[in-house]
Amino acid sequence: MRRVVNRRIFLMSAAGLAGCARGRPRLNVYNWSNYVAPDTIANFEREFGVHVRYATYESNEEMLAKVLGGNSGWDVVFPSHNRIPPMRQYGLLAPLDHARLPNLPNLEPRFQSPPWDPRLEHCVPYMWGATGIAYNRSAAPPPDAWADLWNIRFKGRLTMLDDPEEVLGACLLKLRLPYNSTGERSLRLAEREAIAQKPLLRAYLNAEYRDQMVAGDILVAHSWATTAQQAIDAAPQLAFAYPTEGFPLYGDNAVVLRESGRAELAHDFINYLLRAPVAAAIVETSRTATANAAAQALLPEELRRNTTLFPAADTLARGQWIATMPSATQRLRDRMWTEIKSA
Amino acid sequence: MKRWLGLYAALVYLFLHLPLVILAAFSFNSSRFTVWQGFSLHWYRAIFQDRQLGESAWNSVIIAVVATIFSTIAGTLCAYGLWKRGSALLSGSLYLSLVTPEIVMGISLLALFQWSFRWLHWRLGLHTVILAHVAFSIAYVVIVIAARLRTFSPALEEAALDLGATEWQAFRFVTLPALLPGIVAAALLALTVSFDDYVITSMVAGVDSETLPMVIYAMARRGASPVINAISALIVVVFGALVLISERMREA
Amino acid sequence: MTAASGWERLRAWFLLPAWIWMAVLFAAPFAIVIVYSLLTRGAYGGLGLPWTLENFARLLDPLYLGIVLRSFVMAAATTVICLLLGFPLALFISRAGGRKNIYLQLVILPFWTSFLVRIYAWMFLLRDTGLINTALQHLGLIHDPLPLLYNNGAVLLGLVYGYLPFMVLPVYATLERLDPALVEAAADLGAKPWPTLLHVILPLSVPGIRAGSILVFIPALGAYLTPDLLGGGRTVLIGNLVENQFTNARDWPFGAALSVGLMALVGVLVLLMLRSEREGLV
Repeated sequence: MRRVVNRRIFLMSAAGLAGCARGRPRLNVYNWSNYVAPDTIANFEREFGVHVRYATYESNEEMLAKVLGGNSGWDVVFPSHNRIPPMRQYGLLAPLDHARLPNLPNLEPRFQSPPWDPRLEHCVPYMWGATGIAYNRSAAPPPDAWADLWNIRFKGRLTMLDDPEEVLGACLLKLRLPYNSTGERSLRLAEREAIAQKPLLRAYLNAEYRDQMVAGDILVAHSWATTAQQAIDAAPQLAFAYPTEGFPLYGDNAVVLRESGRAELAHDFINYLLRAPVAAAIVETSRTATANAAAQALLPEELRRNTTLFPAADTLARGQWIATMPSATQRLRDRMWTEIKSA
Repeated sequence: MKRWLGLYAALVYLFLHLPLVILAAFSFNSSRFTVWQGFSLHWYRAIFQDRQLGESAWNSVIIAVVATIFSTIAGTLCAYGLWKRGSALLSGSLYLSLVTPEIVMGISLLALFQWSFRWLHWRLGLHTVILAHVAFSIAYVVIVIAARLRTFSPALEEAALDLGATEWQAFRFVTLPALLPGIVAAALLALTVSFDDYVITSMVAGVDSETLPMVIYAMARRGASPVINAISALIVVVFGALVLISERMREA
Repeated sequence: MTAASGWERLRAWFLLPAWIWMAVLFAAPFAIVIVYSLLTRGAYGGLGLPWTLENFARLLDPLYLGIVLRSFVMAAATTVICLLLGFPLALFISRAGGRKNIYLQLVILPFWTSFLVRIYAWMFLLRDTGLINTALQHLGLIHDPLPLLYNNGAVLLGLVYGYLPFMVLPVYATLERLDPALVEAAADLGAKPWPTLLHVILPLSVPGIRAGSILVFIPALGAYLTPDLLGGGRTVLIGNLVENQFTNARDWPFGAALSVGLMALVGVLVLLMLRSEREGLV
């Protein structure tokens, strides 16, 4: 029996070490899907002589579920801005050494001291975006307000994001309530709207709606601006609208996890991402709005003027940064989400 | 009645196999939509150029092979032991592990690992996935070998003992060779179940242990892509071949 | 030393890995889950100390009971359809004579392919621009695509497709062991095929039906992947609810309580089944 047990331990360590025994230093990066250009990682690996393990996730929750335990193995992750305060509170984030981030001034001024981390002690803004309405131009008149998503003419051809925050937020904005409402009364009203909308809905889909919209199955979708832009690239009859009642803004940031033993390499990676040409290349392939001003200057004209990704100032003024929810509100929202889904 | 039964069976087989055949057929479609636009190996080429796919497939293979080795050994020994004299507790646990919903098994194993990592200073990784796969595949192995043993006569072993062999020798030289085809079948089953698993793996996987089903799932969530068709076709062909080979060995 | 104790010793050694498995990879995880279910949720996930039965009290909330009921109905429907579809097939195979093995392999073959792949195949077929709709439109039978995907029907179809082999195999095993003399006797006594089926074959195949039903019902009850991909996020079944607690909602204690409840249900069903069957699966 001892023979079997020893063999087991040996084989497991061998399997575990198989990945490590590669010679070059390693960096583990966990990012949103579609957030780098095809050669971004390869170029970094070549220039710095390292091996990057790069994996992707589709939601903050997916990433947090892995990271919250404090021993996930990831070095650099990209949480949305409203997850930064709780992550900081839980001691998950390593303090950033600005001396190792000389490219920081490339960021837009408003992202050099964002409301969620004014001195950029723990995070570096990466990409930002908004949520709005993607639609097929054949759906005339074009929808331009959240209220349009309750219109019966879209029945069966409408999708909403599979995200409790976003769906309840859209309902709140439709009711002319603030996106970040925490009061139970407001949330209950929003919940009622969501349940009323359900019969019109095709499904709750995140990025998955894109192919179906391009194919013409879906006419109107609750969508992030970048997903919409990717769809528009594939089918020019599609367009994106920033709703008149207001819309949520989010910023995805690069952070170094405190558990990481490779903080220096992590800083080098983040600094590399801050380079103007690198960030510009990412924008061109992933169709996201970058927080990097120097990169924006390098973009081709039509991208720089793209109003889906970079809306005009007066449009942008209607946006509200998503706030961090207090935990009691979050529990209420979670429960409401189950109620909506079960309705 | 036999004629109707035959017709019915044909329809059910069609139902079972047609979706996969169609899936495979469209993996050769040059367009990404469901309108046939010409034959193309474009998507297959895309598979071989994708580094993430390659790494995850390799991970899946390593995990499946190692887990199968462990679970086949433990499962065979267990089935044999239970054949000698049953144990309600062990049988019940094995049966329970077979029917436990995967999500419950996944979270309980995750809870175990997270809890034990406070002492062991480990992380989630290939080793946790392998352990998890052994956890749920042992029951499959036991069932297959137990079914085999039911047709095996204990008289053969008794004869060996009468001729002076020890119990271990009786097992090693009489029973084990007879069980070999069953062991191969059980190992193949464990291999398939392990390679194919998504739910449990996704919960206990770590940084370096992304598996093929996890990649397929991520792709499916991001929208349909013929690359998935191509991967699926390959998986069907490879495992179909493995099954055929094992059947050939079993009949030999 | 008698021969009996020689076997006993061999048996003890042989069962050791399985006992280790049971203790470490089966009993311990569930024990930990039970412990989790008695704790409280931390501020942003994780666990906190006050021991509490609150999570179990939440199970009695009508919202969650409704979800349990819906999962039950879905699993029961899956089982019944699998039985209706699978029994005749098992009967056919058991009477197929020399080609039994091939037919059996044909049933199992889809099982060898990935579960995910099989679900994806249905997504591919059922989408608005999927093959079924495209074909129907080409044939002029419909004008607008039918909404075949993202509803309960699609989920049911996916579940039946995935679990049909689990019903066919046990029923076939029982039918195969059926003594043909019994059927002959019925024929000799003048019974026609249909009554023979109903009054002779069916009652004798109950053990197989019972085994198959358990093997389909319980996994279908806790199904997570199929409703997730084929249901379009529109419904919540137990499997989705549990998974949600461990990812999005970050309420591990409640998720653990749900799991404990689910396993209690499963345990009861398994006990009932093992008690009424003399020859177990293992």
